[in-house]
Parts: sequence; C-alpha cells; structure tokens
Amino acid sequence: MNWSDLGTIAPVVASVMVAAAVLIVDLVQPGNRRTATATALGGLAVVAAIVLSQAGRSESAFGGSYSLDNLTVFLDILFVAIAAMTILFATDYLQPRDLPIAEFAAVLIFAVTGAMLVAASTDLLVLFVALELMVLPGYMLAGFARRDPYSTEGAIKYFLLGSFSSAILLFGLAYVWGLTGTTRVDGVAAALAKVAAGGTLAPGLAMGLAFMSAGVAFKMAAVPFHYWTPDAYQGSPTPVTAYLSVGPKVGAFAIALRLFVGALGPLKADWLPVVIVLAAVTMTLGNLVAISQDNVKRMLAYSSIAHTGYILVGLAAYAGGQHSGLAAVLFYGAAYTFMNMGAFAVVAALQKRPGVSSQIATFAGLGRRDPWLGALMALFLLSLTGIPPLAGFWAKAYVILAAVQGGGWLTVLAVVAMVNAAAAAFYYLRVVVYMYMREPAEELAPSSPGRLFRAGLAIAGVGTLVFGLFPAILTAATNAAAVFGG
Amino acid sequence: MNVPILSLVLATPLVGALVLAVIPSGQVQLIRRTALLFSLVALALSVVLVFAFAFFGPATIQLQTLGTPPTYPMSFRYTEAIDWIPALGIQYKLGVDGLSVLMLLLTTSLTSISILASFGPIRERVKGYMISFLVLEVGMIGVFMALDMFLFYIFWEVVLVPMYLIIGIWGGSNRIYATMKFVLYTLVGSLLMLVAILATAYAFQSSHGGSWTGAFDYLSLQAWAAGGHFANELQILAFIALFLAFAIKVPMFPFHTWLPDAHTEAPTAGSVILAGVLLKLGAYGLIRFAVPLYPYAAHTFAWPLIVLSVIAIVYGAIVSIVQPDLKRLVAYSSVSHMGFVTLGIFVFSATALQGAILQMINHGIITGGLFLLVGVVYERTHDRTIAKMGGLAAAMPIYASMFGFFILASAGLPGLSGFVGEFLVFVGSFGVAPGIAVASIIVMVLAATYLLWMFQRIAFGELSEFLRGLGGHLTDANRTEMATLVPLAIAIVVLGLFPSLVLDFLRGPAQSFLAAVGVAVGG
Repeated sequence: MNWSDLGTIAPVVASVMVAAAVLIVDLVQPGNRRTATATALGGLAVVAAIVLSQAGRSESAFGGSYSLDNLTVFLDILFVAIAAMTILFATDYLQPRDLPIAEFAAVLIFAVTGAMLVAASTDLLVLFVALELMVLPGYMLAGFARRDPYSTEGAIKYFLLGSFSSAILLFGLAYVWGLTGTTRVDGVAAALAKVAAGGTLAPGLAMGLAFMSAGVAFKMAAVPFHYWTPDAYQGSPTPVTAYLSVGPKVGAFAIALRLFVGALGPLKADWLPVVIVLAAVTMTLGNLVAISQDNVKRMLAYSSIAHTGYILVGLAAYAGGQHSGLAAVLFYGAAYTFMNMGAFAVVAALQKRPGVSSQIATFAGLGRRDPWLGALMALFLLSLTGIPPLAGFWAKAYVILAAVQGGGWLTVLAVVAMVNAAAAAFYYLRVVVYMYMREPAEELAPSSPGRLFRAGLAIAGVGTLVFGLFPAILTAATNAAAVFGG
Repeated sequence: MNVPILSLVLATPLVGALVLAVIPSGQVQLIRRTALLFSLVALALSVVLVFAFAFFGPATIQLQTLGTPPTYPMSFRYTEAIDWIPALGIQYKLGVDGLSVLMLLLTTSLTSISILASFGPIRERVKGYMISFLVLEVGMIGVFMALDMFLFYIFWEVVLVPMYLIIGIWGGSNRIYATMKFVLYTLVGSLLMLVAILATAYAFQSSHGGSWTGAFDYLSLQAWAAGGHFANELQILAFIALFLAFAIKVPMFPFHTWLPDAHTEAPTAGSVILAGVLLKLGAYGLIRFAVPLYPYAAHTFAWPLIVLSVIAIVYGAIVSIVQPDLKRLVAYSSVSHMGFVTLGIFVFSATALQGAILQMINHGIITGGLFLLVGVVYERTHDRTIAKMGGLAAAMPIYASMFGFFILASAGLPGLSGFVGEFLVFVGSFGVAPGIAVASIIVMVLAATYLLWMFQRIAFGELSEFLRGLGGHLTDANRTEMATLVPLAIAIVVLGLFPSLVLDFLRGPAQSFLAAVGVAVGG
C-alpha cells in the first residue's frame, strides 16, 4: 500500500467517517434529531463532492483490488443519492414511532459504504467483504421497528436467506479461487479466456461459476431466487423498504457488472442463454404475482422483481455482444432508483401516522385528499409503467434497443419484456384508479409530510421527470461509466 | 415566414393546461372559459395553418380546379427540427402534409366543441377534467405532426393517459373496467410498436455504417424503405407490430372489443374525441407509417386485411341493429364505418385512399355529432336505453330534427358528406376487388336500417311512459348544445357538396402513399 491509495479510496473513507460522526454527534447530544439528520445529510454532501472530484480518473489501488473508474463514480453518486433520499424519507416515519434517527442514519451510511466498495472492487475477496458490509446493516434496518412483529419477521427472513445466499456466493468464489489460483477479477478473466479459447472448463470451475451466479441472482432477487423479497419488503419500515428496493439491488447489479462483465466476460456466449431465461422468467413471474396483490408495498415488491427482469435484459444484450447493454443497465438502475424510491416514499408518507396500513384501500381518494402526493404517486407509477416522457420509459427504451441490436433470441426477449410491461400497467394503474376514481370508505386526514420529506419527494420527482424529458443528461454519464474492464 | 407555427399549435393547449393548473379549483366558470379559450386559439392557429398550406408556399393548391391535378408538393412543409437525443439521432421534428393539416383541423375543432359540450355535464373536478382534455389535445396534435418515429411514439403514448383519466374519473357506472380495458388493449399494441420502431432504426443504423443519424427520421426511413432496403423478415415482423398497435386503435375486427365499453362509459365529450380523433390516430398510423415503411409486408398482408375490413363493415352493422343502448349502437356503427377506412387503405388505389381519408374526417364529424346528440338526451333522462325512449320528436322538436339530420348523414345520404367517402372507397376498391366492394356497399342498406330504425323508435310515436315521467325536465336542446352541433352540421353539408375542398389536400399524400407501395398512380 502507498499513501496515494488512500486518495483513491477517499469516498469510502469519507463515508465511514460520516457514519462515525453521526454516532458521535448522537453521543454528544443524545436524541437530538435535528443535528443527527443535519450531520448525516451534510456528510453525504461532502462524500458526493469527493466522488465528483474523482470523475474522469482511472486508477486502481491496493494491488488492483480497488478500481476507480467512471463506473465507480457513477454508482457512488447513485448510492449517495439513495442514502440521502432514504434519510429524508425516514425523518417523518421514525419520529412518530419514537425510533432513533441517528442510529438509523449511521447504519444506513455503513450499508451504503459497503455498496460503494462493491461498486469499486475488482478482487473476489474484497467483493465479498464489501457485499457483507452492504447487506448486514440491511438486516438491521429491516428489523428497525423492533416492536413491530412484521418488521422482525421480515428481518429474520431477509437475514436467513441473505446469509444463505452469501454462503453460496462465497462457496462459488472459493472454487473459482482454487481452480484459477487468483482472486483478482482480471486474473480470473485471463484464466477463463484460455477456456474460451478452446481449453476445457473444469467441472469444479463450472460449479464455482454456477454458485457465484446463483448467489448474485439471490441478491438481485431474480426468479427463482426471489422468495425473500416480498416478506422483507412488506415487513420493513417503509422508508427502509424504499432503500432495500434500490440500494442492495443496484449493488447486486454492480457485482454483476464487475463479476460477469469483468471476470466472466470471456465466457459471455455461454451465459447468454442463462441470462435470457432468467430475465424472461423473472419479469413474467414478478408481474403475474404483482397483479394479484392488494397491499401496495407487497405489490411494489413484486414489481421490483419484474424490474430486475427488465434490467437483466440489458445484461443479456451485453452478453449477446452489444456493449450498449451496459449503459442501458446503468440508465435503468438510475431511473429505477428515483421512481421506485418515490413510489415507496408516498406509501411512507401515508403511513406517517402509525397504524395506517399499506393496503390499496388506503389510497382511495388520495388524489382529492392530498393532491400533490396523489399527483407524484401517479407520476412515479406511470414512470414505472414506462409511459413517456418519464425516466422509466427511456430506461425501457434503452434496454430494448440494446436487445434488438443483439437480434435473434434477444429480440424475442425484447418482445416478452414489452408484453410484460403492458401487463404491469394493470397493477400500477390500479393504484391510480384508487387514488382518483374511488371514494374512500372513511375520510382520512391529509398526511401533511414534513419539510425534509417533501424535499426527498421533490428529488425523486424531479429525477423522474428531468431524466424523462432530457435523457441525454443521464446517457452522457452512463455511456462514460459503461466503458470499464470488460 | 419563419414562425414555428407547428410548435405554436402544439404549445397552445400545453400552455393552457399549465395556466389552468394555477387557477384555484373553485373558480369553475373561469376554468371552463380558459380551457375553451386556449382550445379556440389552437383552432384559430390551425385554421391559419390550413389556409397558409393551401394558398402560400412552394406550390399552392388550386382549390377551384376540380378536374386538373394540381402540381402538388409531395414533401412535408413547415418542418421544424431540433436535436433532442443526438447520440441516437432522435429529433424533435415536426412537419405537415395535406393529410396532417386536415387531421390537425379535425382535432382542434373537435376539441373545442368537446370542451364546450362539457360545460354542462361536467360539474365535478372540472379543473382536472379540462387539464386532461388540453393535454390530450397536445398528444393528438403531436401524433399528426411528428416526423420522428420516437417523437411520434411519445405523443402516441401521451394520448393514452388523459383518456384513461377522462373515462375513469368522469365516466359512467362501469367506468373502471372500461378504462382499464382501453389502456391495456392500447398498451399491448403500442409497446410492441416500440420494439418495432427500435428494430427498424437499428436496421437503418447498421446499414449506414453504424451512424444513428436519420435512424428515427421518418423521411430518411421512408426514402430507405422506398429503395427496398429493409429486409423482408424485418418488414413482416415490424409491420405486424405496428399494424397491431394501429389496428387496436382503429379498431379493426377482431381487436374492437374495447371500443363499445370505452364509448359507453366515457363522458359525452370523451366519446366525441374517442370516435372523432383517437380512432383516426390508428388509421393515420397505417397510412403514414405501417404501409409506407414496410411496403413488402403491406402487400403480403393486403388481402387478409381487406377481408378483415369487410368483416368489420358487415359485423359492425349487424351488431348495431340489435344494440339496446344508444351509445353502444353508435359505437358499433363506428366499427362498421372505420372498416371502410381500412378497406380504402389496403386496396392501394388513389381514389379509395382519398375516400378513406375523407371517410375518416366524415366519421369524426358525424359520429362526434351523434355522440353529442346522445349526450343531450342523456343529460335530461340519465338513460340511454332505446326501448325507454319514444316520441322525442314531439317533446324536443329542434333536437329531433338535428338528430335526424345526423342520422341521414351517417346512413350515407347523397349530398351529405358521409356518402362521398364511402362512395369513393367503393369506386376505388371496385377496380381491385369487385366482389368485396359490392359486399361492402350492400352494408349501406344495413346502416340505413339500424340508424333509421333507432331514430324511429326514439323520435316518433307517443311520448313514452319513461319520458312522460320526467315532465318539465325534457327541454329542447339549449343554446350551448346547438352551438356544438351546428358547426358540425354545416361541415357535413359543405363537405357533402364540395368534397374537393378536402380531396385537393389529399392528392399529394395519396400519390406518395401509392409511390411508397409501388402501385402506379391513377388506379
């Protein structure tokens, strides 16, 4: 190690320090929500500034196990934005339930630090440790509402299946390490390039790769590895659900990019059919089950599974030889972050008063009761449906474009994706039906979200709208970020 | 003259929607008048555009010379283009030809009439309603003017959301079912169309050295297609996708089942726009995009589609006869009338195509009028069951004579506009498929049957028990209602007597359409 390495990993260091600072501030002034929130948000702004100052650099640190490139910068910014929005959304939710914000923010920032490290790691072991740093705080957050049995249940399910999948991933990594003799991503890629060039794939290596893929599929909640998602999402406190639905998912796709593209790139023709089937099954099942949900959180959980499927289309296109598939994956990840967090945030706003359920009936008459909240929810849902000119539309368009460029079965996959998107309209618009076309059974008071919460909603709304009207802003970043390793 | 007139027309309703958004929702009268004002400004601008298109510019149309073909501009005019997503060559590109300007005029006039017609019936959430209507107008205008495939697609989808809200919020008792059905049907078609648009653009890009420039530009795509450069397989698949999107919108048999539900549940003005403009979006898409871009596929599928058109014409008419509900009857008659439009498109003859487009306009005006008339009686009775009516001619004489006039126009009475369009389609398709043409023209008898029988049941005879029970509520059409109907009636007479007013605009588009499908002009 040399000192310049510290400069390279500065965002991660800064992020850890922010988390520590939040804890210290809470020690000095226990229970002061305002300072804790301010420290967390201010700290995240500093982290974002540091990340942005690194834009355009391309270097590696710690013997090639940490790599700083445009992909790292792009994902880091996304993760910081996710953390900031989550904290903004949590303010209104935690206070009425008398849950501490400082611990919440600190744990969350640790998780996001893990995600940032995942985005940058080019070594299998660092990748695994970073992954654990990302998911362990996630279990704590899922069970953050200690007195709520559903929250505990969701957390335990999330923890058990999460640990299980981590173990599978680790198992796979061990095999790959043993049979290639290296943990470095580029080393693995070199070993696999030999295989691709005509050598034979050792059965153990194939098994290792299969386990690794299964572990990643677990983390991104691809069918048939998705069973933890609905319970974890429904049971968690809603702002946490907002985070879980995007943070670890984008993180899982970061692993996929580093691992599948970086390490397994040489074998991509072999995993193309796997990804195509995975994508088709994931989106179809996610959508079909989402249709029959009466709980909006659970519905959004299944919808997030479906979105995993759409993002996988981009990865499949990459495997089919279309580099633009990677940029499409990144675009989708960013667009999905804003629209999905926004949708969960509206649910959280309704649940500001403890005891309000996330059943769809709660949304009846929302358009009249809370015009702004209703309009924003409609915006997020239409974007999730893929209606132009909103961010979600371009996300789908880019993914489909990449798939169509691949041709053959990828075109079939594109058609499957679009038929799915049409079916998904049913359950997204059902919420709109409740908000605008049905009268509530009982008249509820408007939910009047706080100032910070409204700021978070504004960020999500502006992101959804601006990236929809001017997608070129985002594509400039995704195209730059898609040029890395593989 | 460098005024971006197309953008101005497009922006007017959008600005109107934004202005409405800041007016407090309690100011109902102000909201209504502002919405009407903006729609009238859009109408005025489009009238200016139509006149400018006809009399100024590279080659003017000689409206007075009916027989001699004018030297006609084949290209689009008033084009505007700004790069939107340069990396993919996607532009904000607008332009109009003779077909577009007519559709534009139809859209802006029917929107103004619809907004005026909503003054009475819509009393709840007026602000949201009027905003939806203006946004809807933006989408419809955009579809007719977009010259970039991506931009076109976006406007196409923009139309969907406000219509979904208009049916779902201000519709009848079964509105949620109807609006969901409408959205899902339309979305299945349009999302597949997106795949086809992207695949076409990619085919263009990969044969242009990987450059995206022009890959979404309608004009360059059409030139490329005219050279026969798109592979046959791509044409077949892409045509199927586009056809599905457009055929659902038209709607062609057997994709029509959303239409009766949507029409029945929509508020009156929603039905007017649905029948008057939204169905035309589908036909416009077939004429503008599906056929010229994929001529090989269009030829391959022409016969099956002609047969489907005839089935729609006959089926729609037969089903109309037995409808118990006034709106459902008019809705099914739309299926029949729109069958003439698709028939006129797919026989690939200049006469039939001009007839088809004229029929699009006629159908918009006549069916729009019929829905308005049904709305008038529904306002007073809150019922649309034909069996409960009777004797309206005595109770509402002005209304009944207006209704009779529109019925005759819809049945295709010579001298009124409905006749000309169907007649031209008949003449045009006779040369290609005499049997089909005769079969479709016999339906005009059926049309007269269901329309006149319906009119007889509701207008003549004794005042029915049900209507008598309403007593003084059964007033004749008021001034606002007449103001919505009279312009349409005038248009019916004028177009019936001087169809060349429209047909002269259509010679150029018809020529380029036939050139695109490779059929000798004059057929």
